[in-house]
Amino acid sequence: MLANEKIFEAVKMIASLLLALLITFVVLLAVSSTPLESFSKMLFAPLTKVRYMGNVIELMIPLSFAGLATALLFRTKLFNLGTEGIFYFCGVVTAAIATQTFSNSLLHPIVTILISGLVGGAIAMIPGFFKAKYNTDELVTSLMMNSILFGLGLYVIKNFLQAKDVPGVASQLFQSTALLPIIIPGTRIHIGFAILLVVVLLLWLMLYKTKLGYAIRMTGLNKSFAKYSGMNAFSLFLIVHFISGFLGGIGSSIELLGMYSRFQWSALPGLGFTGALMAMLGKNDPFGILAAAFAISYLRTGADIMARSTDVPVEVVAVVEAVIVLFVSSQYFLRKYHERALIKKGEQQDA
Amino acid sequence: MSEILLDLKDITKIYSNGVVANRNINVSFKKGEIHSIVGENGAGKSTLMKMIFGIERPSSGTITYKGKEVHFENSMEAIKNGIGMVHQHFMMIDSFTVAENIILGMEPRKRKWFLNKKESIRLTKELAIKYNFDMDVTRKVGSLTVSAKQKVEILKTLYRNAEVIILDEPTAVLTPQETETLFENLKRFKEMGHTILFISHKLNEVKQISDRITIMQNGISKGTFENSDISIEQMTELIVGRSVTLSYDHIKKPMKNIKKAFRVDGISLKLKGVNVLRDVTFTIREGEILGIAGVQGNGQTELVQGLVGLQDMDSGNWYIADHEITKLSIEKKRKSGLAYIPEDRMKEGIAQGATVAENLISTYYNRPDINGPVFMKSKVINEVAQHLITMFSVKTKNSKSKIESLSGGNIQKVVVARETNTNPKVLIAEQPTRGIDIGSEEFIHHQLIEMRNKNVAILLVSADLNEVMEVSDRLIVMYEGQIVAHFDHAKEVSEKELGLYMLGVKRQDEESLKRALVC
Repeated sequence: MLANEKIFEAVKMIASLLLALLITFVVLLAVSSTPLESFSKMLFAPLTKVRYMGNVIELMIPLSFAGLATALLFRTKLFNLGTEGIFYFCGVVTAAIATQTFSNSLLHPIVTILISGLVGGAIAMIPGFFKAKYNTDELVTSLMMNSILFGLGLYVIKNFLQAKDVPGVASQLFQSTALLPIIIPGTRIHIGFAILLVVVLLLWLMLYKTKLGYAIRMTGLNKSFAKYSGMNAFSLFLIVHFISGFLGGIGSSIELLGMYSRFQWSALPGLGFTGALMAMLGKNDPFGILAAAFAISYLRTGADIMARSTDVPVEVVAVVEAVIVLFVSSQYFLRKYHERALIKKGEQQDA
Repeated sequence: MSEILLDLKDITKIYSNGVVANRNINVSFKKGEIHSIVGENGAGKSTLMKMIFGIERPSSGTITYKGKEVHFENSMEAIKNGIGMVHQHFMMIDSFTVAENIILGMEPRKRKWFLNKKESIRLTKELAIKYNFDMDVTRKVGSLTVSAKQKVEILKTLYRNAEVIILDEPTAVLTPQETETLFENLKRFKEMGHTILFISHKLNEVKQISDRITIMQNGISKGTFENSDISIEQMTELIVGRSVTLSYDHIKKPMKNIKKAFRVDGISLKLKGVNVLRDVTFTIREGEILGIAGVQGNGQTELVQGLVGLQDMDSGNWYIADHEITKLSIEKKRKSGLAYIPEDRMKEGIAQGATVAENLISTYYNRPDINGPVFMKSKVINEVAQHLITMFSVKTKNSKSKIESLSGGNIQKVVVARETNTNPKVLIAEQPTRGIDIGSEEFIHHQLIEMRNKNVAILLVSADLNEVMEVSDRLIVMYEGQIVAHFDHAKEVSEKELGLYMLGVKRQDEESLKRALVC
């Protein structure tokens, strides 16, 4: 059974989760006076109230968008971590448009999200262009871009959008016409969740059913092969970067318009880097990312509730996350059993 | 003589990607014998040798050396125990001298800290004389010929007191004459008490040199035989399950066409100050196979890379019919009618992780018939794939299987199937049958000839002399980036004579070369 690659991957995923939870429990034993209670809070609390489940979904939306944006780059074997900066800067763009008066409450968020996406796409094409044209290391350029975008965004906020009556970094209040409507009463789950599901489906179709997706997958699997086959890496890199930046841009915009009333990020939000995590856990597959984002959001929400209602600090959940990622991404974890199963299968075929 | 030096019991090796390379191998090597391991590429020969040499560790089974069970953690331990290996790709530093390369890692010292150059030259000279190798140990390795480099590799193992010497496909890079010399040397080593493990898939060489022969197929051992007990035909049968003849005259249609299909004019290339290609000029007519023979590394790879657009050339133009394609992008070159079977199928020929069907369409994935307005027509793609799989009898579960689950020969069939499916005018086939089983090899040769019969011009580049001689119509020989010989009838050249041109000993005069190239 373990010889089947897909089943093996699933077993590996579940085993890593269990192991990570076990390690968490050991950690809880050390830091908590009521470890069992804390543990069950963390694991099951999100299920106890609709509002908690709402928290999970709310948190999952930006994580998914960041994951999708990053995964597309990873798919093409581009190690670009620029989603972070794009999330920040597009948040500023969102703030700039969302604070303007606009008569139509249907068009206002749509325009805001689209412009934010286009700006994100355009920004992402800068490291994309250098990669395609000069083969510069996109990891370096994208990380530098993050700093530049952060500085630039902060400058724009402070000088043009700063609310005078609020201390610290804060834009003026978004116009109520710009805010995204809530779709599930009793929670703060907004229309962005529906947009996310549509985007995931579209991306999946793009990746597996179109020429562009084919070229992306082949380039990611083997760049020499793609080149040999006559695929144009230059335009492909630009397109992939654009789509990734676009996803980052709309993700940022949707998060702000759905969850906040003004822009208040005084530091990089960290969503971009979490995106890389989602991409990895989700194996760069759109639906996989959705699942990964849900799992991580669930875990974080659970940990958050645990931290509020018990004596365990919320930081513990960072340990769990890291352990899961370590096990899931390990090439060798459980590999031995997979190999043994393969031998057995081989022997049976011989007989 | 009959003392068993190295004994492998029940060796199984599974790579972490799930590939079972060896299964329950039992074989023993005697002191002072030349023991050949034969089998196709992918039969598990190299893996087995790597385990003996400590580069890989067996998943199960035991290796007994000199009566003791050993578990080499790395090749250093194997070397210390007297096992040496000459790899297919040489492991040397070109800018070091022969002597420096030989002593590297085991240098004679002066006052504990300093390299004793004099002593190292003396030691290596002595070694060369002892084993009857005539070479100047103060020369830089980079300036040596391939066969001389191989000798240095062998000396390296001898300097480390190797009792067992593993040679991985040592003749693949040698001309017939050089192979003869190598064999004389190996026989002398044997008389001096060394055990030679000789890996090859060239059966007549194996027959000529070996005391005993172990035949491998598909990761398992088909048995060990005394040389006198087994004929080449029997070996072939054990390797592929049937005997194969390699002659294609009967299926070649006579050529009537004299229309030029592919013209290459004056290609030159200089890399790092070395003239890799010098004024390479030739023409192929429609329905003709032009073979390029030559020892590997004489510019063939660069020439092909240039022609297909993977590397820029310094000068030269090339045309399909009269349409110049020199500067076109790879995509446009392909659209103009160029197809290419690459030398390294795993690196360029396929994308591992993709399905068979996906690998079968990569060079024409944007063709209108397999694309709708938005989505690719997966039904049509599967039909195309299924058709090609049947036509080329690719052994795969279905078109959605991952390409890497196929054997080397079947992967190569996928590559060839894809390249023929674009109806090319010109096909460049680079080592089209390297390292695949004889059955697939014959099949691919048939396909090439069938394309030729359909008026495709084919450039066949191969290090396998049998292949270029049997499959080609005309033949050119490349040496140091130049065309040094041309034969109107590939079959009428003797292997010996070809060898002389390949080694640069002989060279045709300009007149006959010119006559040939304009054809």
